[in-house]
Amino acid sequence: MASQVETSSVLDRQAPPEEVLIRTEELWKTYDMGAAAVQALCGVTFDILRGEYVAIMGPSGSGKSTLMNLVGCLDTPSSGKYWLNARLVSELTDDELAYIRNKEIGFVFQTFNLLARATALHNVELPLIYNGTPSKEREEKASEALNMVELGDRMYHKPSELSGGQRQRVAIARALVNNPSLILADEPTGNLDTATGDEIMNLFDRLHESGNTIVLVTHEHDIAARAHRIIHIRDGKIDRDERIK
Amino acid sequence: MAVYSQTQSLAFAARSRQRELTGIWITAREAFWIAIEALRAHKLRSFLTLLGLVIATTTLIVVMSVINGMNLYIADHIANLGANVFIVHQFQWAQGYEAWLKARRRNQPVRIEDYNFLKENVTGYKNIGAEAWRRMDVRYKEHALYEVELSADTPSMIDIGQAQIESGRYFSESEYEHGAMVCFVGQDLVNEFFPSVDPLEKTIMIGGLPFRIVGVAKKIGTTFGQSQDYFVNIPLTTYLRTFSARPGLAVSIQAWNATQLVPLEDEVRALMRARRHVPYKENDTFGINASDTIMDLWKRLTASIFAVTIGIVSVFMVVGGIVIMNIMLAAVTERTHEIGIRKSLGARRRDILMQFVMESGVMAGVGGAVGVLLSLGLAKIADILFTASVPVSAVVVGLLLSTSVGLFFGIYPAYKAAKLDPIEALRTET
Repeated sequence: MASQVETSSVLDRQAPPEEVLIRTEELWKTYDMGAAAVQALCGVTFDILRGEYVAIMGPSGSGKSTLMNLVGCLDTPSSGKYWLNARLVSELTDDELAYIRNKEIGFVFQTFNLLARATALHNVELPLIYNGTPSKEREEKASEALNMVELGDRMYHKPSELSGGQRQRVAIARALVNNPSLILADEPTGNLDTATGDEIMNLFDRLHESGNTIVLVTHEHDIAARAHRIIHIRDGKIDRDERIK
Repeated sequence: MAVYSQTQSLAFAARSRQRELTGIWITAREAFWIAIEALRAHKLRSFLTLLGLVIATTTLIVVMSVINGMNLYIADHIANLGANVFIVHQFQWAQGYEAWLKARRRNQPVRIEDYNFLKENVTGYKNIGAEAWRRMDVRYKEHALYEVELSADTPSMIDIGQAQIESGRYFSESEYEHGAMVCFVGQDLVNEFFPSVDPLEKTIMIGGLPFRIVGVAKKIGTTFGQSQDYFVNIPLTTYLRTFSARPGLAVSIQAWNATQLVPLEDEVRALMRARRHVPYKENDTFGINASDTIMDLWKRLTASIFAVTIGIVSVFMVVGGIVIMNIMLAAVTERTHEIGIRKSLGARRRDILMQFVMESGVMAGVGGAVGVLLSLGLAKIADILFTASVPVSAVVVGLLLSTSVGLFFGIYPAYKAAKLDPIEALRTET
């Protein structure tokens, strides 16, 4: 399977230059809702370079969630092309996408999406389990990631025993543990109070400073203002693409 | 660019292929622990789910144990003609009713002349003897025992048959020659007639005729609740003189060892056929019966019991499997969000598939193990009440069968889980 992924990128002569992490070309997504077809994305084209900190903004129903799902390789476009890390991922199968998600993308969700029955450590280990990392190496990497988000002393706690901010930090540790090329955060502060939200955003700032590429999906202006570039989405199209820093 | 990614990709592909192999093991282990965790989290539900499989496994093992126990019992108590002994008789014992009816019309009983002929002409046997049976009333003073198994034997039968001497002796060659009125009695007669007196040299009345007791047999015990000590032996010659002039006999021939048994049977068969002028293509007009003939009959009998059991157990297993499938479908619905999380983190279809198949397999395996434990207890009780012996193969079959039922019926729910759309699954709240 891995070799198939490789083959598709080898054959792809249009692959973007190395400094471009994400390139989308005329992304369309149409949902078939019975009689009517809903156009969620209508030809979205943009590049994100390595090391960028980008916010995708838009009101609900603008198509930003759809865009996030495509960028996060959770879904495939109805038409258009998407390169992630010089690999054309818009035409991959389910399992190949799973492989890309595991290797290239670290997700941070609004609702944390931790496994309730597993400890913080085990939650962070999950991405490593699915790429076949042996258990000893796994534990080392996972505890390292937890230390990085300052939860080294909470490794054996279950999510129910952690506060909201701590849960989100576990989720961030999980997103980082595989050294992904992209961290994709969907309303990461949506379920947190302002102070905790600030802490989490500070953590994102630090991650960006240490060289990570971050894409943040949000509808809050002050959260988006943390980013260096904001892509505004409206009615399935890019409304505005502004650099703010 | 292309060259760069090609060299990179080749190295990467090799590395990931290796990871693939260790990866299966690692994800399998994760799946195993998820399964154990799920079992522990839902103890009551798992127990109820597994009841069908537990019953199926228990039934299977208990029945196999009882049959196995009975096989051992039969081999020991019934099919035990003596070491390397076969019996020439009017009938082949282990055959169907039809064949027996036909043989009854056609076969001549084995007579004393046949015995004498075989004794003269068969070469290289270790021992040869003959006996005739019938039921007789036996009296001593005012005590009476009815329908005692009277066996009229040649003196050699003590070396061939099951009976052993406890006190006194068996009747001698010369007593046999002269048709002496002597007898050799089983323990039941001793208990009834001589509870506190030495039975030797006492005279008992068999069928109204006086016989002097010369020996007492050791206790044999019971077979299927039937006493094997309710017998009296007298010399065959005496029997011919007093009770029956031309009885049908059973001639027992003992070989020196197991390898000689079959050649000896062949020799006896050839001699008997020649003596009775049986044409070349005709069947024998007599039967040659060895222990394995009786075992064959017995096994044919148990085979039908076993077939019925297989049927019942299969029904249980299928029902148990469907219950597991049902509960797994519920588990998939319940854990849709978890499946979404795992998929977003890079779990492939086969990882999710393995997780759920493993879960139902482990669950069913635990059910099988519980069934095994239960059946061990029940087999112990059955052994006390009747007879049972748990064969290792039954335990192995029970465990394998229940586990495979779990694996099989887990496939569909697992497949449903594996093909869930990650976005939909993540969106599902639980």
